[in-house]
Amino acid sequence: MSTRDLVLTALFTAIIIVLGIIPPITLAFVPVPITAQSMGVMLAGCIIGAKRGALAYLLLILMVAVGLPVLSGGRGGLAVLAGPTGGYIAGWVVGTFVTGLVAERIVRETQGGARQIAGFFLASIIGGIGVVYLMGTIWLAINTGMGFVAALSANAVFLPGDILKAGIAALAARAVLVGYPLLPQRS
Amino acid sequence: MLKSLHVEGTTLLHRLSVRTKLAVLFAASLAVFLTVDPFVLGGAVLLSALVFATVGVSFSQAVSRLAWPLVSIGLVAGATAFFETPVHGLVVLFRFATLILLAATVTASTEVGDFMEEITRLMMPFERLGLVNAADIGLALGLVLRFVPEIATRYESLREAHAARGLPVRPLKMLAPLIILTLKDADMIAMAIDARGLRRH
Repeated sequence: MSTRDLVLTALFTAIIIVLGIIPPITLAFVPVPITAQSMGVMLAGCIIGAKRGALAYLLLILMVAVGLPVLSGGRGGLAVLAGPTGGYIAGWVVGTFVTGLVAERIVRETQGGARQIAGFFLASIIGGIGVVYLMGTIWLAINTGMGFVAALSANAVFLPGDILKAGIAALAARAVLVGYPLLPQRS
Repeated sequence: MLKSLHVEGTTLLHRLSVRTKLAVLFAASLAVFLTVDPFVLGGAVLLSALVFATVGVSFSQAVSRLAWPLVSIGLVAGATAFFETPVHGLVVLFRFATLILLAATVTASTEVGDFMEEITRLMMPFERLGLVNAADIGLALGLVLRFVPEIATRYESLREAHAARGLPVRPLKMLAPLIILTLKDADMIAMAIDARGLRRH
């Protein structure tokens, strides 16, 4: 791993932490404010790619584990990882990796803006919602003895908000791609 | 800005090695799944609450640390009680309450530095396999701690710049500039690290 990759990874972890400190985003047409940190998985995958993005999340989880309050609302410590929602936290790492993998394959710097935004949106939906929900739900179902389908249906409450976040993340990722492209490209 | 959740003290738990504490926590996470008796698990919750009380976390600190995890297990236990049986919900509630209390105990009684040392030691076998450079983890962590306050300041100046031009301050508009400005520093920082020879291979 090059020093530049290491630095990009650490800087993105720092950005994710700051997104948890700044005031939540309020949109005119949505009643609940959106915590910017919850878009981190989508942003990391779409902006710095699969490998560095997943490492940025591993670093974040390491910081949670050693007792630093790096999650939004000053949450942190092993208690956060030990809860029934631990599967979602593991899902952040895999979800970022998958988001990055999809984005690296379908988004090109030569494409038009609309196609790039659509590509990032798709990558965010697959990795940031699909993978994260899947891993979180499997863990939840195993630990509670609840049926998989019942546990999965509990996610439905968060789906509209998360689709909206995928849209915001796609717009931001496209703006970064124009201003300072970092996403590795695979054929 | 990033104040550790460690609580100063000299209790028995503070003196135990990080490895022992993590091993006990891991063993407990397996043990709570060995029984489905709500009374046994209820006893485990009481016991771990007593252990947590010995590390010297003040009541208000304890509330702010445990509130969120407890709300989340409350919701999960409620859903389990609804989809399965109420006893089942109670079992889930007690299991996770035990683990959360023990985990919070380890966090409160362990210093970040000691934790990092233990993690670096745990990574050594992987380093020998060539999978990871254990020293890189400490370096990366140091970089994060160094840059969080700076990025937060940068966000503030972006916000002020918007306000000064009479533009509505919308966090959404600031996301991309904040990320670009921060990541643009990566080359300079990487060069500085290499110039100082901070990474040996």
